[in-house]
Amino acid sequence: MTQTQSPKSLALLNSKAPFASCAGKDALDIALVFASFEQPTTLFFQGDGVYQLIQGQNGELISVKDYLKTFSAFEFYDIEEIYVCQASLIERGLSSDFHIDNVQVLNQQEFANKLATHNTILRF
Amino acid sequence: MPFFCSFNSRDIILKKLAVVITTPPYSNLTITALHYIEAALHININIVGVFFYQDGVLNANSKVQIASDEFQTIKRWQALHEQYQLPLHLCITAAEKHGISDENESGSLIHDAFTISGLGELVELSTNAERLVQF
Amino acid sequence: MNTLHIVRQSAFATNDFTQCIQVLNAADLIVFTDDGCYNLTHQSIKQVSEQVKLMVITEHVNARAIDIVGTKATAITMNDLVALTFQTDRVITWQ
Repeated sequence: MTQTQSPKSLALLNSKAPFASCAGKDALDIALVFASFEQPTTLFFQGDGVYQLIQGQNGELISVKDYLKTFSAFEFYDIEEIYVCQASLIERGLSSDFHIDNVQVLNQQEFANKLATHNTILRF
Repeated sequence: MPFFCSFNSRDIILKKLAVVITTPPYSNLTITALHYIEAALHININIVGVFFYQDGVLNANSKVQIASDEFQTIKRWQALHEQYQLPLHLCITAAEKHGISDENESGSLIHDAFTISGLGELVELSTNAERLVQF
Repeated sequence: MNTLHIVRQSAFATNDFTQCIQVLNAADLIVFTDDGCYNLTHQSIKQVSEQVKLMVITEHVNARAIDIVGTKATAITMNDLVALTFQTDRVITWQ
């Protein structure tokens, strides 16, 4: 099998809520580094991970450095593909009112299919 | 019956693998990762590097003392590094957060089998390897 | 085109396996390792399509006295898991 010449795509699958665990920030750090090296990087949010996108949060109220503010830099880093699991939103009674633009809500099959278009997947 | 054919080692010659470790040395999950890595090395997979992130950085702490009747995780990393020249990359930002740094009056806390690295190395490993597996 | 899913947690304890099931495609493979071996008797296993092959690491089920007879799982070795890593198109670890 010959090695593909096109750059590999990375998917970061976010499964944890922000703040209480470092998983979200740890995933974000990886995303930004890969993007800064011009590696195609896509963000996925599933399960409690969808909480990272909700409008109006403020980690500073609980003495957490609010890494969510960095999400507004995604466009600058050319991170343009951001996908959220619809079922996870519904299960949590959440609307699609996100604190960033460019987020696409996908149903189960769409989310699964989109994830499967990536070469490398890291889950946090 | 397993659906896959038993592999011919020729099929996996030149197969490059990178591994990310996120679990600490006292976790059985890390032992599983080590067994996976050892299996790969024994069948001549080229492991381009192991990247230690999150709690995985604790594997680089030279001061870790594992009870002598338990699996010697740190010694196993060292042995693999020495026997196979397996690169062990430590994410320095994560390491410092866990209190492991190379700047210390009494010398480095980082076991010398580990290379001080950053997330840029993970990009390099990921680009270089055909598969990146997370543990 | 298929994905190898390495499932390392028990569905009786966490929802990692549930989330895995949500992204399964027909030709995918699941290998249960570590506490993921307990998932063979979790009710969510019924949601996994017949076409998805289920495997467990021999030592991991034996250590936990889990009997796979009567389940849809096949026992494999760690060498097999390494081979599967390269026989599938991508791998996702659920832990």
